[in-house]
Amino acid sequence: MAIPGNKDTRDGVLFSLPFVLIYLFLLVFPIIFGLYISFYKWDILSSRKFIGLGNYISLFKDKTFYTSLWHTFQFVFITTPILMVAGFVMALFVNSKSPLRGAGENIFFIPYVLSITVIGTLWAWLFQKNYGLFNQLFMLLGHAKVGWLTDPQKAMWSVSAATIWWTAGFNMILFSAGMKQISAEVYESARIDGAGYFRILKDITIPLLRPTIVLCLLLQIIASFKVFGQVYVMTGGGPYGKTRVLIQYIYENGFTYFKMGYSSAMAYVLFLLIMVISVVYYKIMGREK
Amino acid sequence: MKKKILFIVALVVLVLWIFPLVWLVITSLKLEEDVLTDVFSIFPKRPTLQNYAKAFSSTYILKWLWNSTVVSVATMILTLAVDAPIAYAMAKIKFRGRQILFWFVMAGMMIPFQVIIIPLYLQFNSYGLVNTLSAAILPRLALPIGIFILKQFFEGIPDELEEAAFIDGSGRGRIFTTIILPLGKSALATVMILSFINAWNDFLWPLIAISDTAKYTITVGIANFQGVHGTDYSLIMSGAVIASVPQFVFYFIFRKKIVEGIAMTGIKG
Amino acid sequence: MKRKSLSACLLVLSLLLLGTVGIGASGSQEKDVASEKGGPIEITFWSLFTGGDGEFFDAMVDEFNRTHDDIVMTTDTVKFDNYYTKLTTALTSQNAPDVVVIHRSKLLNYVPSGTLYPLDDVLKSVNAPMDDFIPAALEPCTFDGKIYSLPLDVHALIMYYNKDLFRQAGIAKVPVTYEEFVAAAKKVQDKTGAMGAAIDNTTATYKAYTLTRLFMSFMEQQGGSVLTEDLSAADFNNEMGEKALQALVDMVRKYGITESGLDYDSSVAAFKLGKAAIHINGVWATGSFEKQEGLDFAAVPLPAMLGKPAAWSGSHTLAIPAKKEMSNEKLAAAVEFMLWMTERGDLWAKAGHIPIRKSVSDNPDFQSLPHRKDYAAAAASSFAAPRTVAWDEIYNNLSDSLELAVASGQDVKTALAEMEKMVNSIIASY
Repeated sequence: MAIPGNKDTRDGVLFSLPFVLIYLFLLVFPIIFGLYISFYKWDILSSRKFIGLGNYISLFKDKTFYTSLWHTFQFVFITTPILMVAGFVMALFVNSKSPLRGAGENIFFIPYVLSITVIGTLWAWLFQKNYGLFNQLFMLLGHAKVGWLTDPQKAMWSVSAATIWWTAGFNMILFSAGMKQISAEVYESARIDGAGYFRILKDITIPLLRPTIVLCLLLQIIASFKVFGQVYVMTGGGPYGKTRVLIQYIYENGFTYFKMGYSSAMAYVLFLLIMVISVVYYKIMGREK
Repeated sequence: MKKKILFIVALVVLVLWIFPLVWLVITSLKLEEDVLTDVFSIFPKRPTLQNYAKAFSSTYILKWLWNSTVVSVATMILTLAVDAPIAYAMAKIKFRGRQILFWFVMAGMMIPFQVIIIPLYLQFNSYGLVNTLSAAILPRLALPIGIFILKQFFEGIPDELEEAAFIDGSGRGRIFTTIILPLGKSALATVMILSFINAWNDFLWPLIAISDTAKYTITVGIANFQGVHGTDYSLIMSGAVIASVPQFVFYFIFRKKIVEGIAMTGIKG
Repeated sequence: MKRKSLSACLLVLSLLLLGTVGIGASGSQEKDVASEKGGPIEITFWSLFTGGDGEFFDAMVDEFNRTHDDIVMTTDTVKFDNYYTKLTTALTSQNAPDVVVIHRSKLLNYVPSGTLYPLDDVLKSVNAPMDDFIPAALEPCTFDGKIYSLPLDVHALIMYYNKDLFRQAGIAKVPVTYEEFVAAAKKVQDKTGAMGAAIDNTTATYKAYTLTRLFMSFMEQQGGSVLTEDLSAADFNNEMGEKALQALVDMVRKYGITESGLDYDSSVAAFKLGKAAIHINGVWATGSFEKQEGLDFAAVPLPAMLGKPAAWSGSHTLAIPAKKEMSNEKLAAAVEFMLWMTERGDLWAKAGHIPIRKSVSDNPDFQSLPHRKDYAAAAASSFAAPRTVAWDEIYNNLSDSLELAVASGQDVKTALAEMEKMVNSIIASY
């Protein structure tokens, strides 16, 4: 909103300055450096060799780049809808009149507190084919052992399950805070008008939560595209590379194979991809006002 | 009747949901030899605090917890200090370049961290900050996620409140500190918790930026419980518990603040 | 009014930022001061040994510190997964420590760029007993005639077998040929129900490197090699390769002596709990098996299943990162530490590793350790990984392909052709 005297630009700049300065130094500058490197062949420790678009041309011909990107997409497709729905349902529960809602809020959020390596190791252990709890239970019930992490059809789903357990609470908090901002009167008048639970949900809650949903979904998508840690800990990218996500491939090329330029090029392609998806997403969401 | 069914369903879901965490703690109380064989006992047949003893015998574990506390608290405070003003500007101040700024800042979240490790390290080295806790703190301040969460909430604060204050002669700064911040308490608390947790759990960068074992954060330190050629699950789980307990404590303390903060809001009408 | 509060905010903010910059900004200067004052020389050191290995290794470093008043080693341990990322990053700005552990196979990533210090002169100046080093262990640490690191150990692929299960199945002779190996495994399986051979073939927490190591070993046993001698191309798409790959695939799919989808942790656990008769792994597993009550096992060099004895081996080496200022004093101290560590191979052997100094093998302390001398001979018939920068990428990708071949029962010829194509394109990309 404009104020008398119209010092908007000055104020806008002043308020933004602290963050923008830090951002420029600690994020933008390294990012630009990384982009610069993508045009070189560099093994980190020796001098660089300029090769123009060489890395980009190579990556477009690299089968593993595509399979890794595909695996990342698989992860995004599986986890995004489930995490959104799960977070939303949890938030509904936490804002309901159930006597369990307090316990629910804690139980659903607490996993988020654990670090990525802990999540990976814990769930790798639960899913362990021969000694993990799940299979031990299965065997007790007479069912065969399941290769949760060793069966290529199941591995990504298992990693996704662990991720959902880990981060659904984050979505829950965002949605819950948004729900709390909706005043009780709005619900009251709807109920007086005779609307049932699902009707209220559809016509009031969800529309009023739209900004939160839009933000949450975007954050979710961006974060999912950068998945790496928990997949790596649980499957090592296996079986036979079937869960190797793009970030793992980027990391390996940079730090295990010392192909830093190539690694950067792939990272920038991913960056651009995420950027394009985000812009398109925002445009679509904006249009549906 | 419906209520009873829902209650039972909810209860079952909650029990199943908390179960892996319970399993984590149970495993940490098992002897290494029993981890593979004593799978089903709700409580280990031969419970032991051996893993915890082993973890604490590591000379530095308390120092690590302290380092993590310093890093996480500093990150949390600084994140708020830096994110809140720009979030307010983006939400409420119509200035030129606002939209471009939004995308500029959003883009920062899209870059994979792996690609900036080396340039960031070289930078910190030139500042003379490698192997310091500051190195662990500063890069996180450039992460914009807190801004978006705060912006979201600030946008929900009615303009009328600001207008009234302007008419009364308040300037932007005053409005920010006396109106926006108090009303955005729940959002601020949320961002505080999230930035604390993310700082605490940060692994790769602190690992690379800090070389002295004494200066490690707890997440980096306990990673070494994983062996080169074999996984001692019980020890790793005990490390996980030790590393997570402070965060549980922090969360429970702050949870009350969120609830209070939310109770104070509710002006939307 | 507003100007005041805004600037107040900014002031507080800058103070906070400055404050954090101050936190821990001390630190690195402290270390050099001590030596200037005439105290013990402080040497910084990075180890990648965690877990069981780590305990033994740290004990050795402690012993060194205890017995040397003039040198103090300060160790920082980094988990293996991230060790090289950290080391490489540190090397970009000369922030690496004085001594580091480096896998022999990684030396090629560091030596050509001049980031490691050539040791010949220093070794000569301290009269290092270079003759005492087993040549096969020292040679891979030399490049262009200069020594760039000292081997700490050799860890070879060996065979463990459960003596109880062998007895129960009536197996008196330790298998040597592939046929004998399969027959023995089958016999134990039929008679006792235990798994014949616990050999991991799928990636979980750990990558299924055993398959690749076996494949490499099988090639060498037949007199071949994974890459051509000039390291320019793959050399396994031939009869030898077919035999090697078939041998691996058959273990799972034809003879059923190894479970399909077996990961490393499970295979180790299976042998440990007495549920498998044979286990093929590196020497490092010895320590953990020893601790298992009731496990009566033997450890022997990898049988020459497809020809002459040959086994994959890796090696941990110690090296000195090249730094702008490293006084002769410090260099000598660092080298002294390195030599001492190699001398005490008897201590390191407790972790299962094979010593690389002849004097250690003859040392009664070493001889008295169970199992170690049984497989120490493996060092002689072990071979190092091909010396090419492309090796890490080839190794990882071969692992994936071999896993796939075993899991899907892919036709051996097709698999090898695909693997050859892949390896060649990797080599071309460097």
